[in-house]
This record gives sequence, C-alpha cells and structure tokens, in this order.
Amino acid sequence: MSKPRIILLPGDRNGIGPEILGKLLADPACHQWADIEVMADPGVLAAGGVPAAATAGYRLLPFSPEAEAPIEPGQATAAAGRECLAALSRAAQRLRDGEADGLVFAPLNKQALHLGGLAQADEMRFLAHELGHDGACGELNVLAELWTTRVTSHIPLADVAGRITPGSVGQTIRFAHDSLVAAGRPAPRIAVAALNPHAGDGGNFGREEIEVIEPAVRRAVDDGIAAEGPFPSDTVFVRARDGAFDCVVTMFHDQGQIAMKLLGFGQGVTVLGGLPLPITTCGHGTAYDIVGTGQATDGALRNALRICAAMAGNNQNGSAR
Amino acid sequence: MAVDGPLAPIAITLGEPAGIGPEITLKAWHRRVFHDLPLFYLIGDPGLLRGVAKKMSSPPPIKEIAEPAEAADVFDTALPILPIALAGRVKPGRPNTRHATAVMAAIEQAVSHARAGAAAAVVTNPIQKSVLHKAGFKHPGHTEYLAELCAAKRSPVMLLSCPGLKAVPVTIHLPLQEAVAALTTDLIVERALTTAAALERDFGLSPPRLAVAGLNPHAGEDGELGSAERDIILPAVRRIAAEGIDVAGPLPADSMFHAEARRAYDAAICMYHDQALIPIKTIAFEFGINVTLGLPIVRTSPDHGTALDLAGRNEADPASLISAIGYAGLIARRRRRFG
Repeated sequence: MSKPRIILLPGDRNGIGPEILGKLLADPACHQWADIEVMADPGVLAAGGVPAAATAGYRLLPFSPEAEAPIEPGQATAAAGRECLAALSRAAQRLRDGEADGLVFAPLNKQALHLGGLAQADEMRFLAHELGHDGACGELNVLAELWTTRVTSHIPLADVAGRITPGSVGQTIRFAHDSLVAAGRPAPRIAVAALNPHAGDGGNFGREEIEVIEPAVRRAVDDGIAAEGPFPSDTVFVRARDGAFDCVVTMFHDQGQIAMKLLGFGQGVTVLGGLPLPITTCGHGTAYDIVGTGQATDGALRNALRICAAMAGNNQNGSAR
Repeated sequence: MAVDGPLAPIAITLGEPAGIGPEITLKAWHRRVFHDLPLFYLIGDPGLLRGVAKKMSSPPPIKEIAEPAEAADVFDTALPILPIALAGRVKPGRPNTRHATAVMAAIEQAVSHARAGAAAAVVTNPIQKSVLHKAGFKHPGHTEYLAELCAAKRSPVMLLSCPGLKAVPVTIHLPLQEAVAALTTDLIVERALTTAAALERDFGLSPPRLAVAGLNPHAGEDGELGSAERDIILPAVRRIAAEGIDVAGPLPADSMFHAEARRAYDAAICMYHDQALIPIKTIAFEFGINVTLGLPIVRTSPDHGTALDLAGRNEADPASLISAIGYAGLIARRRRRFG
C-alpha cells in the first residue's frame, strides 16, 4: 500500500502557521506517514523558515494568489484571508480530482477570512461547498486519544434545549462513531453528556435526559454503537481522560470546550468530519501575539497530519472508492 | 468570646447513611494529625459508624458524646459522635426513606449548634436528594435548606473551591433552559457582591478580583451568538464595577479557566451550574469543596455526591471532606478574629 498523499497549507500568512509548518517539515519523521505536498506562496514559506522542498523531502506546489501582498505579522488582513480561501478552494479541487487523499491546514484567522470575503459561517462550510458536499458535516476535537463532538455548536444557549431532539442526538452519536471508525478506531466507546445539572437528577432538574438523550443512547446501542450515558457533564471528561471512553458527545459548545481547553487542547486537532475526504487542522489559532518569537510549537499540526494520514490510509484500505 | 482560645469543634452531619459519608468521616479522623485538621465531631448513628469502621484495616475508635463541648477531650483518641439513632439497618448503596428523618435531624442539630456558638462551623456529608424528596423534603438541596434553618435574609450563594480556582454559579439546581431564563442583571450583581464580601472576609483576599463568564459560546461574539452578554451580563459587570470592585467580563467561558487566565482573578462568577462545575472537576477532581456564602454560620461540604456505587467497599477517597473540614476551620478562625 502506498502512503496517502496529503496536501499541507501554511494557513494565515500573518500567523504562526508558516513557522510551525517549517518545524514540522524539518523533521524527517513526518514523511513516514504521508507523501506531503505543500501548496503555498514560496515567499511566505521562506519568511516562516520552511526548509526547501529538495532538502526536506516534500513536493512544492507554488501557489501565489496574493504575491504582491506584504507579510504583516500579527495583523488580520483581507489579502491573507483571500489567499487562504483561494488555497482551500484549490486544495478542495485537487481532492475532488483525485490528485490528493487528504488536506491539513495550519491555523486560519476568522477575522481575516471574513475580510477576505468568506461567505459561509466558517471554513468547514466553505470547504463543504467547494467539495460539492451537501450532507451533514461537523467538527470533532481530538486531544491525544480523546475525541469530542457536539450536538449544537455556535448558537445562543437559550436555543440549545430546543435543538436537543432524538434525531439530533442520535445523528451526532452516529457521526462520532463513524468518524472514529474512519480514523482507525474500531468499536469506539462513546460517552454522551447530559444537558442539565447532575444529569437532571432523576427528573428534578430537567427532563431532557429521560425523554430525549437516554432513548437516543438506547437506540444507538441497538444499532451496534458502544454508546453510554447520559452522564453529568462535570465529570464525564475526567472519566474520559482517565481512559473510560474514546469519545464524548456533548450537548453544547462550552460543555466540551471548557474541559478540552483545560486538558490541553492547545496541542489538539480539529477534524472536519462528515466530508467525503479527511480534512484536519490545529486546535489552536493563529497566535498573532507570538508570531516570529520562536515560541510556537508544531505539536498540534503534527497530530493533525498524523490523524489525517490515518484517515486517508483507512479510506484506501477500505477501498471504499 | 476569646479571640485566641481554642476554636469550638466543627459539627459534621451524617449525610446519606447508605453512601460514603460515614466512611470518609472515619478516614478524615484517621488522618487528622497529618492534615492538621481542626477539632470535629459527627452527628450520626454510632452503630452504623462502628459497622463501617470494622471494614477498615485499623478501625478508628468511636466515642459517644452528650454535647459538642465534650468533643475536645475525646478527639485525640476517638471520633466523637453525638448520637442520632437511625430507624433500622443500613444497606450500603441502598438508601431508604425511613432514614430521612435522622438525616434531616442531623442537619438541624448541626445548624442549631453552630447558631448557638457550640459548633464553630457545619460540614455536611452528601445527601441523596431523591430519597429525601420522597420523605417530604421540600428543598432543592442542602444550601436552600440551611438558608431556611438559619432564617437567612439574603439568598445564599454556593462557592466551589479547589486549588487554583474559586467559582460561583449564579443559578444552581435548575434545568438548563430555566437557568437561562432565570438570569437577570440583579441576580448576577447580588451573587457577585456576596462573593466579593466573602472573598475579603473569609479568604483574606483584599481587594477581591472577580471575573464574570459569558453565557453563550464565545461570550456571544458581539451579539452574533446571543444577546444575554449585552443585555444582562455587561450591565451587571458595570454595576459591580461601580461598587468599587475589580471585575472583568463577560469573558468567553472556554478560555477563562486555564492557569494563566486564572491568575487575573480570585473568583469566577458563572452563569449556570455546569459552567462552574466543569472547570472545578477538571482542574482538581478530588479536592473540590463547596462553601456556602451569605449564611450567618460557616458551612462547607465536599463537592461530590453520595457515591452509592462505592459505598461499603472501603474505597472512597476522603480528600474532599478533609479539605472541607480544613477550610471550615480556617474560615471560622478568620470570622472570630475579624468578625
């Protein structure tokens, strides 16, 4: 079996993306996982200290849609945003054409993307559009061996309870299961968080656990998924960290993000799940405040590459296509 | 009362007899010297405690006392117990409503000792709320019950504390949907002022620094993800600041709890139960405690539940109870000294 072909993008030119890409590519170990193709403006790579393609052993695909734009460390600029969108679009085209098996991008900056003309809510929706994918997709966060995803995401907390339905909870459990299996984790153990304090305390503090979440978990179990819950959300991540579960499905954004960030999600990976091909990125952002200081580390980007390569390799093995 | 004399003993309540309360109380007494714990006594059933002690490799001795003042003479050699008889045998892990009367009586006695000055503080073992509710207990939890027993004028505030973080949930035992609806500027301000006063009075943090969490993802992201920050929380932050308190917020909840962010404040004011509990449990699972602010008495408790699945196995960790007893002593001493 040949190694999967993975496209790597440096992300926002004014953030730490180019530097951490340089640190990653300087390590020969990263080439064991994948045949790496870097698509980027050579000027941006040079400024970030990325070693030359010939010495580091990757393939360079020069791509300079904003060749005239300056590099402005720590600034969210429209040019950087436009460049990122153009690179994502081009990378998606290569994935669609079968010229690559997966995509990993270094951090993007949301403000820059919007200045650069992003029409969708975020880069995941943008990529789904570019890949011609109109099915469900969602973000999963991965920290070491622990995965998490959520039933609701960027919506007001007041709207969350109304979106907790047997369908939405069931779909998210299924989505988590399928994503972990795609990443090479057969029969993942999935913990489902409760919505209310003390998991509703037997109905005293809310009935969604009894009426919605528990039936959804039961149905998932009937479908052969190793799901359990609902568990009180204040301790479910502690148990998962200690190895009781492979994945936690949360009901809303901060339920998972508070715990994951405390557990060190800065080194974590975001997987854009549900898309036809594996796409991953760093859990952290562009870290504009430390650009050029040498403090940025490539741990998260390295993990993103490792997970993307595993998912792409799994696609090949499964010969689904 | 003499400011430098010995502190009155601390009253510990029985809690759910079928849970781990009796076991962790015995273990806390066993480690009293190592942890330099203040004097305490348990209000509970001596027979139950003897049975639990027997399962331990070196069973702690138990001695009955008739009033709190006798605890001082007993404490060095045995766990002092002020007896309250249970209505029958206890099966570990199997709560029974017939014990509810004794469970509540222990709480009432402890509060009355503390109000009379016979006890320096009350530390409560976890109760099984569903069982008490079946027996006619009308309160959502301990905190509300204690407020009634103390005839507290202001509504009490639950402060969760672990090494590195103190957090106060503005709403407590409500379904998430109702918690969101119950959030008002007045409520946030009231909780924050009670918290600030307690940080200064009970923890010696002067001037106190508060951080107020947002309600919505990314603290609402300038109104894109909800308006509670703009309409309810920000006005509260302004009013708290107008009282001369160092306060920041509303802050995105997912980025305000890491170690560096925590250095900027002494307590986090959280908008709902799990927003406070998730960081506390994630940072220090074993060491979290609960301190009730705004009562005329000092009250702390471990922040875990009855752990029915662990009861009777001699595997329960007393760390949280030990920490709760230690803090009760510290706060009681400060209040005696500074009023």
